[in-house]
Amino acid sequence: MEHTFNRQTGVSHTPKRRLAALGRYLRLFFVFAKFSLMSQLEYRVNFAAGVLVETGWMLIKLLYVAVVYRAGINIGVLTPDHITLFIGTYVLMTGFYMLYYNNFTSISSLVQEGQLDMYLVKPVSSQFLVTLRRLDFSLLLPDFVAGIVMIAYGWRRAQLPSDWRSVTGFVILLLLSNLLTYSLFLLPNLLCFWFISTRGIADFTAALWDFNNMPQMIYGKWMQRIGTFILPVFVITNFPGLFLMGQLSGGLFVWSVAAPFLFFFLARLLWTRALKSYASASS
Amino acid sequence: MNPYRCVFRMGIEKSLEYRVNFLLTLLSAVFPIVIQTFLWNYLYGNADAAALFGYSHDQILVYTLLATLVSQLVHTGFEYQVNEDIKNGGLNKYLVRPVTYRYYQLCSFFGEKMPQLFLLLIVATGLVGFSVLVLGLGLTPLRILAFVGSLLLALLLNFFLFYCVALLSFWLTDVNLLFGTVSVVLVVVSGGVFPMDIFGEKIALLFRILPFGYTTQFCVNIINGKLDWGQVGTGFCCQLFWIAAFALLTFWMWRRGLKRYVAVGG
Repeated sequence: MEHTFNRQTGVSHTPKRRLAALGRYLRLFFVFAKFSLMSQLEYRVNFAAGVLVETGWMLIKLLYVAVVYRAGINIGVLTPDHITLFIGTYVLMTGFYMLYYNNFTSISSLVQEGQLDMYLVKPVSSQFLVTLRRLDFSLLLPDFVAGIVMIAYGWRRAQLPSDWRSVTGFVILLLLSNLLTYSLFLLPNLLCFWFISTRGIADFTAALWDFNNMPQMIYGKWMQRIGTFILPVFVITNFPGLFLMGQLSGGLFVWSVAAPFLFFFLARLLWTRALKSYASASS
Repeated sequence: MNPYRCVFRMGIEKSLEYRVNFLLTLLSAVFPIVIQTFLWNYLYGNADAAALFGYSHDQILVYTLLATLVSQLVHTGFEYQVNEDIKNGGLNKYLVRPVTYRYYQLCSFFGEKMPQLFLLLIVATGLVGFSVLVLGLGLTPLRILAFVGSLLLALLLNFFLFYCVALLSFWLTDVNLLFGTVSVVLVVVSGGVFPMDIFGEKIALLFRILPFGYTTQFCVNIINGKLDWGQVGTGFCCQLFWIAAFALLTFWMWRRGLKRYVAVGG
């Protein structure tokens, strides 16, 4: 199926065709977004409930900010204002992750019930279709608003530079962090092609994500190294803030650009392997 | 055989059926403990946090270790079933049987919680043993007994609290959508993440009055030695008061709710 898709879209050919395919996928993504939003707004109570639940989870994240402000001490080079910026970045990134999170958790049921067949026969990348077809804006909304407010507040209070270079660099790192989040957290969810129960995996990845609740500086050196290079969760929410503060070394900057592409490649590789193990049972 | 004993045993079996799931959930509870341990170590290592938060370093570490586990233990889940029964008429089959729906759910809930309580006590014994030996936590058998007693009452309180929320299904069609929010907010206000009394005296007073802290924070503060015996006694009285208050509220809500119940789809 993947081969057919490549032939139809020309993804694996010339750069011009790749660009055209990218444009096509972007258009498709916006179509998915539009239909997801329309269907969610049809059931407004559900939408409001989603917003409320996510607001509840956000409350927990804000408690950490409250504790830090109450203690009023610096964590390494980070003042409480910097920490607000870091936690704001984490809240914002959580919103983006939650946008497609339910697609990840539903992969196991698609595999177990054999419903994946439906997506394999479509002339679009099955990975794209399965992981991004439904977007939950009710979960994005509270995190997006709170994240932006916290980032702006922390940025201003910490008197960080706000020239175009800093803003552009910060936004680009956020975009790269999104790619890294998608790739890194898709990997464990693909284990459902080999194991029946993945509830534990979902709990595990959710708990792993929460390590970003606090800046990486509070953890020990070895945990920081593991969280930066092996399971680079710290790259996602710490590096944009460190870049703004001028604390991101050249080597780490290169890693923050390379890691998303490396893990996206790994996710693609594992997806292809996983499809080969798919038995299409129960369909 | 007594039907409630039977339901209690069914609850135990149901819980043991998904024991791997429970173990994995417990395992994922380790991560927030790690995060908070690092946070507290940093704060207590770099500031006079004991004076600021009102907890000694050892007390806050024991709190961090146990609060997540206690929070997991008292966590309910039957409210979705109650909502389903009321909404789709499944309640009918209980109304015509010689059982009281409230006690049916209570026995099932306690049955499901017993293996979890047993496992939690094993884990807690390890953690408390570690705290006694390494952190120098002073502990008496009476305090352990008070902790276990407070846990049982916390389970009962949380049951009645969520049963009240579940009974709103008689009046609201989409109440199950709110359960997730209520559940998360209650984890926070019960002290399942941080003890609420670290945020100032006014907030501490508020949470001493409200029922939520008596489901998690009160139990953990018995074992970590934060509360003296006078406060423990007052806490038990508050727990019993809130249990009675919510139990009465469930009676009232049930009676009013049944009058509205139309048994659709049953």
